[in-house]
Amino acid sequence: MSDITLYHWEPNANSGKPMLALMEKGVAFDSHYIDMLNFDQHKPEYLAINPQGTIPAMTHDTPAGRRVLVESTAIMEYVNEAFDGPALMPDNAADRWRIRWWMKFMDQWLAPSFSMFGWKYFVGPNALKAHGEAKIRAQIEAIPLPERRTAWNKAVFGLFSDAEMAESGRRIAVGIQMLEAELAKREWLASDTYSLADVNGFNLAYAMPLSQPHLANDELTPNIMRWLRAIYRRPATRACWKLGRTPMASRVEILETDYIAQKAESEGLYQLGQLGEKA
Amino acid sequence: MSMILYHGEPNGPSLTALAMVGETGLDVDCRPIALLRGERHTIPGLTEPLARDMGLEGEGPVLVVDGEAMTESVFLAQYMDEMAGNALQPKDAYAHWQMMMWCRRITERCAPAAAFLGNKAFASPVLAAMADAEFDAAIAPIVSGDLKQRWIETRADSMTEAAVGNAMADSTTKLTAAVQMVEDQLADGREWLMGDVSIADIETYGWLAGAEALVPGVWDNRPRAAAWAARVRSRPSVAAALARATVAQPETAWAPGPEINRWG
Repeated sequence: MSDITLYHWEPNANSGKPMLALMEKGVAFDSHYIDMLNFDQHKPEYLAINPQGTIPAMTHDTPAGRRVLVESTAIMEYVNEAFDGPALMPDNAADRWRIRWWMKFMDQWLAPSFSMFGWKYFVGPNALKAHGEAKIRAQIEAIPLPERRTAWNKAVFGLFSDAEMAESGRRIAVGIQMLEAELAKREWLASDTYSLADVNGFNLAYAMPLSQPHLANDELTPNIMRWLRAIYRRPATRACWKLGRTPMASRVEILETDYIAQKAESEGLYQLGQLGEKA
Repeated sequence: MSMILYHGEPNGPSLTALAMVGETGLDVDCRPIALLRGERHTIPGLTEPLARDMGLEGEGPVLVVDGEAMTESVFLAQYMDEMAGNALQPKDAYAHWQMMMWCRRITERCAPAAAFLGNKAFASPVLAAMADAEFDAAIAPIVSGDLKQRWIETRADSMTEAAVGNAMADSTTKLTAAVQMVEDQLADGREWLMGDVSIADIETYGWLAGAEALVPGVWDNRPRAAAWAARVRSRPSVAAALARATVAQPETAWAPGPEINRWG
């Protein structure tokens, strides 16, 4: 039993951020898997921990009482500040500013665009297939946050408009070019040492060579590929992705391939669909 | 190392950044620019313009340090604070997390709402009165496609009447909720939002300074919040920032800001 419990889904996106940060810091924690596609995050036992029903959440028992922390990037910053272990924020204030800037950009602009594709082609159809329409409508009604209700409705019933999908596609293309340009400047994304921005970025980008093979590959984005492979080689990353239970996490193995050529956009959408077939 | 702060009138994120100059006492060269003429996008001498070009805050202040454009008022506040001795952020990790979560509720929910209402009321008429050629020249250097689109929508009212109505109602609710959040936070009698004065007070006040004009009566029946706003306003740093205004009512100075969450 640890003083720390992390409630998380797959090592991917928001769940993966605090998982990987804790492992990089060498902080032992109790892992509590929340099956998002089974709506575990909206069940009473989880809502007692995080009433908003969002994943991830972390509890930290201290002499002053139990602390409950939510929001993946904010949890990472807490983990870095509260525990011993390698610093994941550098000493230089300008570097710290740049790390925060990139994390906000990824969290609020780029990641929601990626996840619109993930929800439309993977999360929505699979939740519908697993539960059936009547049950899923009831599940969605029970979601505490109105924004999340809207998102689930749109995902499950395919309500993302063409304009929304096109804008997300535009942002993904712009964002990948920005990442490539930034990683051409230095070894890591936002500073000269490995930081929370890299932990955050890896969770966003590790599967890009599979799901955006027309944009992210060794031909077009060699610096992104170098960066992803360097993070994948880290022991903490290996240990973290072992906590995955579905084919979603095993996508990370694409980074064992030495050279990934450019492929058509349709190949990426096919891969997202396949993920559902295997899940 | 020189620091130059390019800022709009002291309102919203520009007010936060200017107040932080005063709070920290850092030697910052503060240079006013006309945000609604697009001057933020023609700042000279930038070797690293990315954060100016792609920042999510919209037409917020730009701090230039060694040629690098730095943006996002909360992170500028943290940077200035950390350069000056770290007096405005809690030392305890949990208290720090609480402050950052507070600031995120402001930047993600309150700021887009305030910016939408403020631009509708005060920036739209200014941009609509511009000649096409003048407007096109102002937005020509804007790199971010979605920020440029917000400029175009602010000028041309391309949204349907129903969509405008929904956005107005939603933004009014969110701005009111932010003032109520301040009221609730102060219920235990504390003077400042996080106990000790912090970046949360400065950032929150920046976005709420113009709230009365956008949601008339929003401070009425919220006496703790109203008293807090007066306390922040009377801090020497904030008073000095407001004294930099070149217009009579800086709290009505708005320019396209952060977008409303696309996921609903």
